[in-house]
Amino acid sequence: MNDDRHGGGPFNEWDLREPREQSDLPSEPYDRWVSPDGVCMAEFHRRGEGFLLRFPDQADIALDPNGQGDGFRGTGWPIPGCPSRVVRNLLTNAVLPVLGNHAGGLFLHGSAVSIHDGTGRSVGAAAFLGLSRGGKTTLAGALAKQGHPFLTEDVIDLRRRDGTYWLQPKTSKLRLFADSARHLLGTGPELSDNDEKQDVEGGSTLPFASEPVPLKRIYVLGTDHAAPLEIASFPPPAALVALLPHAFILDVEDKPRLRAHFSRMADLIDSVECHALDYPRDYAELPRVTEAILASFRAD
Amino acid sequence: MQLSDTFAVSQDVVDRELGGEVVLLDLSSGLYFGLGSVGARVWEMLSQKPRTLRELADDLEREFDAPIERIEADLLELAQALRERELIIESPG
Repeated sequence: MNDDRHGGGPFNEWDLREPREQSDLPSEPYDRWVSPDGVCMAEFHRRGEGFLLRFPDQADIALDPNGQGDGFRGTGWPIPGCPSRVVRNLLTNAVLPVLGNHAGGLFLHGSAVSIHDGTGRSVGAAAFLGLSRGGKTTLAGALAKQGHPFLTEDVIDLRRRDGTYWLQPKTSKLRLFADSARHLLGTGPELSDNDEKQDVEGGSTLPFASEPVPLKRIYVLGTDHAAPLEIASFPPPAALVALLPHAFILDVEDKPRLRAHFSRMADLIDSVECHALDYPRDYAELPRVTEAILASFRAD
Repeated sequence: MQLSDTFAVSQDVVDRELGGEVVLLDLSSGLYFGLGSVGARVWEMLSQKPRTLRELADDLEREFDAPIERIEADLLELAQALRERELIIESPG
């Protein structure tokens, strides 16, 4: 059996159209992504045999079957004034992961770094799963700054080979809020003081890992941003329950695919240790947090 | 709910044993439910075929060192919780 599971390939036709306003849609969404503070980040609508993903105040993206297995043809309509990088980020960090899982892959919402030993050799990847604005990217950046290159800042793409889950490198950029970028990089880069994440290119200060790395540990970030630092091992059943909300699902009503996805997630839990990570979201505490993560990672 | 009631697992539930416990996912609601070791054994028996709670209690008494009264009480509580979440359904038997 070939158990090399991956996604991203099904999305092989893409058409970016002229900007248009987001008019009311004829259908009610069958699913929504809602941020912790109650803001709708995406709506999922049916569109014939396909789907329409509405990202409010950003873009509509239609996914129509292209007649090739699980493949889809994508069509995007940004709203007027929406920067092209926003559409690119939606494709990379939302659309491709949902299509990847739909096609039998394993994509989770999170950041990851390649942990290096004292000689600069990778000893495995640590993944950080969490809700939006939960500190995933800052944590990856803080570890990268200490010599543990980042693999991804928002999408964990896992491919299983010979019982090992290989975490795929994504883009060599970290998208950081200005305060996080300044903390990690000092006064170097030109940053806007707005409420949007900005691209910070990896480099000598924040190294990027360009090759896949075996996943060794998963850390699920707690939602209490004032919690004291604590890392606790999840028993496997609790780990599965903790991980399920961090997956990208295109069709929550497609029971055969949900069943298969649940099984893939459980297989992952069977192979990779999972920990709950609580810590105060305070830049002054980051060194202590990264030190605890590294100690936890190296412990058997 | 009575010990003579027969139950079957819902077809909309997917389960997975992990570390001696079982995680259930209701595909209709997206809700999860965890079962400890005894609950996992009950789920395993119900997954094989519909059974009355009395049959389940008798089997559990043979497997676990506990008084039948306590087994029955715990089983009724578990079955109630599972039925409320539509993870098991009443079966004609």
